[in-house]
Amino acid sequence: MHFAHEFWAFVSDNWDELFQGFQNTLKVSAVAIVGAFVIGLVLGAARAHRVPVVSQFTAVYVEVIRNTPILVQIFLIFYGLPELGITFDRFTAAWLSVMVWGGAFNSENFRAGFLAVSHRHREAANALGFRPLGTFLNVTLPLGARIALPSSINTYISVIKNTSLMYVIAYPELTTTAINISNLTLQTTEALALLAIVYLSLVWSLSWGIRRLERHLALSETA
Amino acid sequence: MPDWGEPVARYILEEGLPNTLRVAVVAVIGSTLIGVLLGTLLTIPFRPLRALVRLYVEVFRGLPILVTVFATFFLLPTISPQLEFSPLSAGTIALTLWGSAQVAETTRGAVQSIGYEQRDAAAALGFKWVGSHVYVILPQALRRLLPPLVSLLVNIIQNTTLVGVIGGLDLLEAGKRQNERLAAFPPVGVGESHAFEILIAIAALFFCLSFPLARLAAYLEKRLVA
Repeated sequence: MHFAHEFWAFVSDNWDELFQGFQNTLKVSAVAIVGAFVIGLVLGAARAHRVPVVSQFTAVYVEVIRNTPILVQIFLIFYGLPELGITFDRFTAAWLSVMVWGGAFNSENFRAGFLAVSHRHREAANALGFRPLGTFLNVTLPLGARIALPSSINTYISVIKNTSLMYVIAYPELTTTAINISNLTLQTTEALALLAIVYLSLVWSLSWGIRRLERHLALSETA
Repeated sequence: MPDWGEPVARYILEEGLPNTLRVAVVAVIGSTLIGVLLGTLLTIPFRPLRALVRLYVEVFRGLPILVTVFATFFLLPTISPQLEFSPLSAGTIALTLWGSAQVAETTRGAVQSIGYEQRDAAAALGFKWVGSHVYVILPQALRRLLPPLVSLLVNIIQNTTLVGVIGGLDLLEAGKRQNERLAAFPPVGVGESHAFEILIAIAALFFCLSFPLARLAAYLEKRLVA
């Protein structure tokens, strides 16, 4: 029980700072997830429908993001771009870098989702007189987004985990806050235990949500 | 290449790159060995052991890798002084913990996909549990495992950059240190920062390492399905 006592002392002594850090983690994650959702939807649709130019651009964007470390991307946005005269504050750099990263993975999720909608559905829409945009909005989008939802939530989970990397640009989200406090007070074990508890409860509850959602959303005929 | 570029490139390629590759290769081999073992254990009927392995897998898949890196570097030495590792070793251990959890989950699926008749056939030939897994089931499961293992290598190569956070000299850290030197006043540096160029070069290097491997993984995946 000795450790539990120390742990509570760590949490209660630094409650305000830690809670602020937790809120910052959620803030960065929320902005990045909304952005990654929009990017994924638009670029995924462009890829699935082979929209000229946008489709090729997306292919390059996805490969570049997937094949370079996210840490390099964060450094480029926060330390590289200012040399070209583009400067961001820490918060903007934080959500921007995970949003760009998540958007790339999400456009693949949505592309796969839209491509999984069977062409019979689209033909049926054509037969009912829908134009291409109408077919997309009324048929492909609702069915494809539903198929893409579990994998896109997986991407959002990774986005949340990756906000911990903002330690390298000293943005005070949860990891930065907890590690910085522990550097002063030497309560490393307590700080890491707190990080593990918070991140695991976030990640585990979301994965549990996905599993429930997958069962709930399973489409009987498009499989 | 500009005057300042040559020593920077040499430092990155001669100091950083070998470390990055070493960490990645050791972590991938470690992840594969531990992961295949744990993944096989996830398929046995004995519940308590399965629950223990499941906990390991869920913890290391769930934690941000940076937290695992901090834990291996700062936490292990507090348990025993023998567990004090250099930044590169601590990073390798952290990546192995994460990677083995990934491999375990994939292995479980691959082992379970091998039909029951294979187990029965192995049993009929007189193989016990270990023998039937080593000689019959795992060789077949390995075919399915190969594409995800190549993808894992790509992910691990990229995540080696995390060792820089605890002071390990990888590709990215080498570039960062060189830029800090350049930014210093002469005669140490040239008094100007070249972060953008250096980071683009590092990104290009990682791309050249990852892209062919990612293609290979996609190719193996396709061939497997066909």
